Amino acid sequence: MNKFRVIEFEYGDAPFNMALDEAILRAVGAGKSPPTLRLYGWDPPAVSIGYFQEIREEVNLEFCHENGIQVVRRLSGGGAVLHTPKELTYSFSVEANDPSVPQDIQGSYLKICAPIISALREIGIPASFRPVNDIEVKKRKISGSAQTRRFGAILQHGTILLGMDYTLLPALRARTEKLTEKGAKDVAERIITVAEILGKEVRQAELSRILVKKFEDHFGAVANYSDLSEDECIFPALEERYRSIDWTFRR
Amino acid sequence: MDREVVRKFKDGKLVKVKMVIEGGVIKDAKITGDFFAHPEEGIEIIEKELIGKDLSNARQAVESAIGGVTLIGVRIEELIAMVQECLENDR
Repeated sequence: MNKFRVIEFEYGDAPFNMALDEAILRAVGAGKSPPTLRLYGWDPPAVSIGYFQEIREEVNLEFCHENGIQVVRRLSGGGAVLHTPKELTYSFSVEANDPSVPQDIQGSYLKICAPIISALREIGIPASFRPVNDIEVKKRKISGSAQTRRFGAILQHGTILLGMDYTLLPALRARTEKLTEKGAKDVAERIITVAEILGKEVRQAELSRILVKKFEDHFGAVANYSDLSEDECIFPALEERYRSIDWTFRR
Repeated sequence: MDREVVRKFKDGKLVKVKMVIEGGVIKDAKITGDFFAHPEEGIEIIEKELIGKDLSNARQAVESAIGGVTLIGVRIEELIAMVQECLENDR
Protein backbone atom coordinates (compact mmCIF):
# COMPACT_ATOMS: atom_id res chain seq x y z
CA MET A 1 0.00 0.00 0.00
CA ASN A 2 1.52 3.36 -0.94
CA LYS A 3 -1.58 5.48 -0.55
CA PHE A 4 -4.94 5.27 1.12
CA ARG A 5 -8.14 7.25 1.07
CA VAL A 6 -9.53 9.12 4.08
CA ILE A 7 -13.26 9.64 4.54
CA GLU A 8 -13.46 12.53 6.98
CA PHE A 9 -15.35 12.49 10.27
CA GLU A 10 -19.10 12.62 9.98
CA TYR A 11 -21.96 11.62 12.25
CA GLY A 12 -24.41 8.99 11.09
CA ASP A 13 -27.07 6.81 12.62
CA ALA A 14 -26.34 3.16 13.36
CA PRO A 15 -27.73 1.45 10.22
CA PHE A 16 -26.13 4.13 8.00
CA ASN A 17 -22.76 3.69 9.71
CA MET A 18 -22.75 -0.09 9.37
CA ALA A 19 -24.06 0.01 5.79
CA LEU A 20 -21.37 2.48 4.72
CA ASP A 21 -18.62 0.36 6.30
CA GLU A 22 -19.94 -2.61 4.31
CA ALA A 23 -20.27 -0.59 1.09
CA ILE A 24 -16.64 0.51 1.41
CA LEU A 25 -15.52 -3.05 2.27
CA ARG A 26 -17.24 -4.38 -0.86
CA ALA A 27 -15.80 -1.65 -3.09
CA VAL A 28 -12.28 -2.18 -1.73
CA GLY A 29 -12.58 -5.95 -2.12
CA ALA A 30 -13.75 -5.54 -5.71
CA GLY A 31 -10.70 -3.38 -6.46
CA LYS A 32 -12.95 -0.39 -7.18
CA SER A 33 -11.76 1.67 -4.21
CA PRO A 34 -8.34 2.17 -2.64
CA PRO A 35 -7.54 1.14 0.95
CA THR A 36 -9.76 3.39 3.06
CA LEU A 37 -9.67 4.90 6.53
CA ARG A 38 -13.10 6.20 7.46
CA LEU A 39 -13.73 8.29 10.60
CA TYR A 40 -17.22 8.65 11.97
CA GLY A 41 -19.49 9.12 14.95
CA TRP A 42 -22.84 7.88 16.20
CA ASP A 43 -25.85 10.15 16.52
CA PRO A 44 -28.24 9.12 17.99
CA PRO A 45 -26.44 6.81 20.43
CA ALA A 46 -26.56 3.12 19.60
CA VAL A 47 -25.67 -0.35 20.75
CA SER A 48 -23.91 -2.52 18.17
CA ILE A 49 -23.83 -6.25 18.73
CA GLY A 50 -21.47 -8.82 17.28
CA TYR A 51 -22.47 -10.95 14.30
CA PHE A 52 -22.93 -14.07 16.46
CA GLN A 53 -24.53 -12.53 19.53
CA GLU A 54 -27.98 -13.22 20.85
CA ILE A 55 -29.64 -9.81 20.95
CA ARG A 56 -31.87 -10.47 23.97
CA GLU A 57 -28.92 -11.71 26.03
CA GLU A 58 -26.85 -8.61 25.32
CA VAL A 59 -29.16 -5.64 24.98
CA ASN A 60 -31.68 -4.08 27.34
CA LEU A 61 -34.17 -3.43 24.55
CA GLU A 62 -36.69 -1.64 26.73
CA PHE A 63 -34.06 0.79 28.03
CA CYS A 64 -32.86 1.43 24.48
CA HIS A 65 -36.38 2.11 23.27
CA GLU A 66 -37.12 4.49 26.15
CA ASN A 67 -33.86 6.39 25.68
CA GLY A 68 -33.74 6.70 21.91
CA ILE A 69 -30.80 4.31 21.56
CA GLN A 70 -30.64 2.43 18.25
CA VAL A 71 -29.63 -1.21 18.08
CA VAL A 72 -27.72 -2.63 15.14
CA ARG A 73 -26.10 -5.99 14.36
CA ARG A 74 -22.58 -5.71 12.96
CA LEU A 75 -21.06 -7.68 10.11
CA SER A 76 -18.11 -8.33 12.44
CA GLY A 77 -17.97 -10.72 15.38
CA GLY A 78 -17.10 -9.74 18.91
CA GLY A 79 -19.11 -8.20 21.73
CA ALA A 80 -21.82 -5.62 22.31
CA VAL A 81 -20.71 -1.98 22.34
CA LEU A 82 -22.45 1.20 23.47
CA HIS A 83 -21.67 4.03 21.05
CA THR A 84 -22.38 7.58 22.23
CA PRO A 85 -21.90 10.81 20.26
CA LYS A 86 -18.68 11.36 22.24
CA GLU A 87 -16.95 8.41 20.62
CA LEU A 88 -14.59 8.57 17.65
CA THR A 89 -15.07 5.49 15.50
CA TYR A 90 -12.76 4.34 12.73
CA SER A 91 -13.01 1.77 10.00
CA PHE A 92 -10.10 0.57 7.92
CA SER A 93 -10.68 -1.47 4.78
CA VAL A 94 -7.95 -3.03 2.75
CA GLU A 95 -7.73 -5.75 0.09
CA ALA A 96 -7.34 -9.19 1.64
CA ASN A 97 -4.03 -9.83 -0.10
CA ASP A 98 -2.45 -6.44 0.63
CA PRO A 99 1.04 -7.30 1.96
CA SER A 100 0.99 -4.39 4.42
CA VAL A 101 -1.56 -6.21 6.60
CA PRO A 102 -0.54 -9.60 8.08
CA GLN A 103 -2.66 -12.59 7.08
CA ASP A 104 -2.86 -13.92 10.63
CA ILE A 105 -5.71 -12.38 12.58
CA GLN A 106 -3.79 -11.44 15.71
CA GLY A 107 -0.98 -9.85 13.72
CA SER A 108 -3.44 -7.85 11.65
CA TYR A 109 -5.24 -6.46 14.71
CA LEU A 110 -1.91 -5.33 16.11
CA LYS A 111 -0.86 -3.77 12.80
CA ILE A 112 -4.07 -1.73 12.45
CA CYS A 113 -4.23 -0.83 16.17
CA ALA A 114 -0.62 0.41 16.23
CA PRO A 115 -1.35 3.82 14.63
CA ILE A 116 -4.26 4.27 17.05
CA ILE A 117 -1.96 3.61 20.00
CA SER A 118 0.57 6.08 18.57
CA ALA A 119 -2.13 8.74 18.15
CA LEU A 120 -3.34 8.26 21.72
CA ARG A 121 0.23 8.50 23.04
CA GLU A 122 0.76 11.71 21.09
CA ILE A 123 -2.08 13.39 23.00
CA GLY A 124 -0.68 12.15 26.31
CA ILE A 125 -2.56 8.87 26.79
CA PRO A 126 -0.25 5.96 27.83
CA ALA A 127 -2.14 3.38 25.74
CA SER A 128 -1.04 -0.19 25.07
CA PHE A 129 -2.32 -3.16 23.08
CA ARG A 130 -4.14 -5.99 24.81
CA PRO A 131 -4.62 -9.09 22.69
CA VAL A 132 -6.80 -10.01 20.92
CA ASN A 133 -8.41 -6.74 19.97
CA ASP A 134 -8.34 -4.10 22.71
CA ILE A 135 -6.34 -1.00 23.54
CA GLU A 136 -6.01 -0.27 27.25
CA VAL A 137 -4.84 2.40 29.66
CA LYS A 138 -4.17 1.29 33.24
CA LYS A 139 -5.87 -2.06 32.52
CA ARG A 140 -9.03 -0.27 31.36
CA LYS A 141 -10.34 -0.37 27.82
CA ILE A 142 -10.15 2.87 25.82
CA SER A 143 -10.58 1.28 22.38
CA GLY A 144 -12.00 -1.97 21.06
CA SER A 145 -11.92 -3.32 17.52
CA ALA A 146 -13.56 -6.03 15.47
CA GLN A 147 -12.69 -7.52 12.11
CA THR A 148 -14.48 -9.22 9.30
CA ARG A 149 -12.89 -10.66 6.17
CA ARG A 150 -15.32 -10.87 3.29
CA PHE A 151 -15.79 -9.91 -0.35
CA GLY A 152 -12.02 -10.08 -0.92
CA ALA A 153 -11.16 -7.52 1.72
CA ILE A 154 -10.49 -7.02 5.43
CA LEU A 155 -12.58 -4.56 7.41
CA GLN A 156 -11.49 -3.59 10.89
CA HIS A 157 -13.65 -1.11 12.74
CA GLY A 158 -13.47 0.07 16.29
CA THR A 159 -14.11 2.62 18.98
CA ILE A 160 -11.94 5.31 20.52
CA LEU A 161 -13.53 6.55 23.72
CA LEU A 162 -13.00 10.31 23.74
CA GLY A 163 -15.85 10.49 26.23
CA MET A 164 -18.75 8.38 27.44
CA ASP A 165 -22.30 9.02 28.52
CA TYR A 166 -22.41 6.74 31.54
CA THR A 167 -26.15 7.29 32.02
CA LEU A 168 -26.71 5.17 28.88
CA LEU A 169 -24.72 2.13 30.08
CA PRO A 170 -27.79 0.20 31.28
CA ALA A 171 -28.41 -0.37 27.54
CA LEU A 172 -25.90 -3.23 27.81
CA ARG A 173 -26.92 -6.33 29.69
CA ALA A 174 -23.33 -6.90 30.81
CA ARG A 175 -22.57 -10.32 32.19
CA THR A 176 -20.82 -10.11 35.51
CA GLU A 177 -18.84 -13.32 34.93
CA LYS A 178 -17.20 -11.87 31.84
CA LEU A 179 -16.22 -8.63 33.50
CA THR A 180 -14.94 -10.25 36.67
CA GLU A 181 -12.48 -12.10 34.49
CA LYS A 182 -10.89 -8.81 33.54
CA GLY A 183 -11.02 -7.45 37.08
CA ALA A 184 -13.94 -5.05 36.92
CA LYS A 185 -17.32 -5.12 38.58
CA ASP A 186 -19.23 -3.44 35.84
CA VAL A 187 -18.71 -1.84 32.48
CA ALA A 188 -18.13 1.60 33.99
CA GLU A 189 -15.11 0.27 35.87
CA ARG A 190 -13.82 -1.63 32.88
CA ILE A 191 -13.58 1.34 30.51
CA ILE A 192 -11.81 4.70 30.57
CA THR A 193 -12.04 7.76 28.34
CA VAL A 194 -9.65 10.36 26.95
CA ALA A 195 -11.61 13.11 28.73
CA GLU A 196 -11.18 11.39 32.11
CA ILE A 197 -7.43 10.93 31.67
CA LEU A 198 -6.63 14.39 30.31
CA GLY A 199 -9.24 16.30 32.29
CA LYS A 200 -10.39 18.03 29.09
CA GLU A 201 -12.35 17.26 25.97
CA VAL A 202 -10.53 16.34 22.76
CA ARG A 203 -12.57 16.94 19.63
CA GLN A 204 -13.11 14.16 17.12
CA ALA A 205 -11.65 16.34 14.34
CA GLU A 206 -8.45 16.88 16.31
CA LEU A 207 -7.76 13.22 17.07
CA SER A 208 -8.83 12.27 13.53
CA ARG A 209 -6.10 14.50 12.09
CA ILE A 210 -3.46 12.88 14.30
CA LEU A 211 -4.77 9.39 13.47
CA VAL A 212 -4.46 9.99 9.74
CA LYS A 213 -0.86 11.08 10.23
CA LYS A 214 -0.10 7.96 12.29
CA PHE A 215 -1.67 5.68 9.68
CA GLU A 216 0.59 7.37 7.09
CA ASP A 217 3.65 6.76 9.28
CA HIS A 218 2.85 3.16 10.21
CA PHE A 219 1.87 2.05 6.71
CA GLY A 220 4.42 4.20 4.90
CA ALA A 221 1.58 5.49 2.72
CA VAL A 222 0.15 8.85 1.72
CA ALA A 223 -3.37 9.84 2.75
CA ASN A 224 -5.75 11.30 0.17
CA TYR A 225 -8.78 13.04 1.56
CA SER A 226 -11.52 12.22 -0.89
CA ASP A 227 -15.16 11.39 -1.31
CA LEU A 228 -17.09 8.19 -1.63
CA SER A 229 -17.34 6.65 -5.06
CA GLU A 230 -20.66 6.45 -6.86
CA ASP A 231 -20.92 2.76 -5.95
CA GLU A 232 -20.39 3.49 -2.28
CA CYS A 233 -22.97 6.27 -2.22
CA ILE A 234 -25.71 3.98 -3.44
CA PHE A 235 -26.35 1.42 -0.77
CA PRO A 236 -30.08 1.59 0.08
CA ALA A 237 -30.32 -2.20 0.09
CA LEU A 238 -27.52 -2.48 2.61
CA GLU A 239 -28.97 0.23 4.81
CA GLU A 240 -32.37 -1.40 4.64
CA ARG A 241 -30.89 -4.70 5.78
CA TYR A 242 -29.20 -3.09 8.79
CA ARG A 243 -32.54 -1.48 9.70
CA SER A 244 -34.47 -4.73 9.32
CA ILE A 245 -35.86 -6.86 12.15
CA ASP A 246 -34.72 -10.00 10.27
CA TRP A 247 -31.08 -8.99 10.38
CA THR A 248 -31.06 -7.40 13.83
CA PHE A 249 -32.90 -10.26 15.53
CA ARG A 250 -31.42 -13.12 13.51
CA ARG A 251 -29.81 -14.51 16.70
CA MET B 1 -35.90 -30.96 24.43
CA ASP B 2 -34.21 -27.56 24.38
CA ARG B 3 -30.71 -27.81 25.78
CA GLU B 4 -28.02 -25.19 26.19
CA VAL B 5 -24.47 -25.07 27.44
CA VAL B 6 -22.72 -21.76 28.18
CA ARG B 7 -18.97 -21.37 28.66
CA LYS B 8 -16.74 -18.44 29.40
CA PHE B 9 -13.19 -18.85 28.18
CA LYS B 10 -9.97 -17.50 29.62
CA ASP B 11 -9.72 -14.45 27.38
CA GLY B 12 -13.21 -13.47 28.45
CA LYS B 13 -15.16 -14.68 25.43
CA LEU B 14 -18.57 -16.17 26.05
CA VAL B 15 -20.01 -18.96 23.94
CA LYS B 16 -23.43 -20.56 24.04
CA VAL B 17 -24.53 -23.72 22.25
CA LYS B 18 -28.30 -24.05 22.08
CA MET B 19 -30.04 -27.08 20.62
CA VAL B 20 -33.38 -28.66 20.04
CA ILE B 21 -32.93 -32.41 20.58
CA GLU B 22 -35.51 -35.12 19.97
CA GLY B 23 -34.78 -38.75 20.84
CA GLY B 24 -31.05 -38.01 20.99
CA VAL B 25 -31.06 -36.44 17.53
CA ILE B 26 -30.29 -32.75 16.90
CA LYS B 27 -33.23 -30.97 15.28
CA ASP B 28 -31.81 -27.43 15.49
CA ALA B 29 -28.53 -25.88 16.62
CA LYS B 30 -27.40 -22.29 17.31
CA ILE B 31 -23.95 -21.18 18.34
CA THR B 32 -23.92 -17.65 19.76
CA GLY B 33 -21.55 -15.35 21.62
CA ASP B 34 -18.88 -12.69 21.31
CA PHE B 35 -16.28 -14.86 19.59
CA PHE B 36 -14.91 -14.35 16.06
CA ALA B 37 -15.01 -16.79 13.16
CA HIS B 38 -13.31 -16.18 9.82
CA PRO B 39 -15.14 -16.67 7.57
CA GLU B 40 -18.29 -16.09 9.61
CA GLU B 41 -20.33 -18.45 7.45
CA GLY B 42 -18.32 -21.30 9.02
CA ILE B 43 -20.54 -21.13 12.08
CA GLU B 44 -23.73 -21.35 10.02
CA ILE B 45 -22.29 -24.35 8.18
CA ILE B 46 -21.56 -26.11 11.50
CA GLU B 47 -25.12 -25.39 12.68
CA LYS B 48 -26.55 -26.92 9.50
CA GLU B 49 -24.22 -29.95 9.62
CA LEU B 50 -25.30 -30.74 13.16
CA ILE B 51 -28.95 -31.21 12.22
CA GLY B 52 -29.83 -34.92 12.17
CA LYS B 53 -26.69 -35.89 14.10
CA ASP B 54 -26.43 -37.61 17.48
CA LEU B 55 -23.73 -38.26 20.08
CA SER B 56 -22.06 -40.84 17.84
CA ASN B 57 -21.41 -38.51 14.92
CA ALA B 58 -21.66 -34.91 16.23
CA ARG B 59 -17.86 -34.60 16.52
CA GLN B 60 -17.41 -35.69 12.94
CA ALA B 61 -20.03 -33.17 11.79
CA VAL B 62 -18.25 -30.24 13.48
CA GLU B 63 -14.82 -31.37 12.31
CA SER B 64 -15.88 -31.73 8.69
CA ALA B 65 -17.62 -28.33 8.69
CA ILE B 66 -14.79 -26.44 10.40
CA GLY B 67 -12.15 -26.92 7.69
CA GLY B 68 -10.64 -23.59 6.73
CA VAL B 69 -12.43 -21.67 9.49
CA THR B 70 -10.34 -19.69 11.99
CA LEU B 71 -11.97 -19.34 15.40
CA ILE B 72 -10.91 -16.65 17.88
CA GLY B 73 -12.14 -16.85 21.45
CA VAL B 74 -13.10 -20.54 21.40
CA ARG B 75 -11.23 -23.67 20.32
CA ILE B 76 -12.73 -26.33 18.09
CA GLU B 77 -12.28 -28.98 20.81
CA GLU B 78 -14.14 -26.77 23.28
CA LEU B 79 -16.95 -26.27 20.82
CA ILE B 80 -17.22 -30.03 20.21
CA ALA B 81 -17.26 -30.64 23.97
CA MET B 82 -20.15 -28.17 24.36
CA VAL B 83 -22.13 -29.85 21.59
CA GLN B 84 -21.56 -33.27 23.18
CA GLU B 85 -22.55 -31.96 26.60
CA CYS B 86 -25.87 -30.72 25.20
CA LEU B 87 -26.51 -34.21 23.81
CA GLU B 88 -25.45 -35.93 27.04
CA ASN B 89 -27.70 -33.65 29.09
CA ASP B 90 -30.61 -34.86 27.01
CA ARG B 91 -30.12 -38.55 27.78
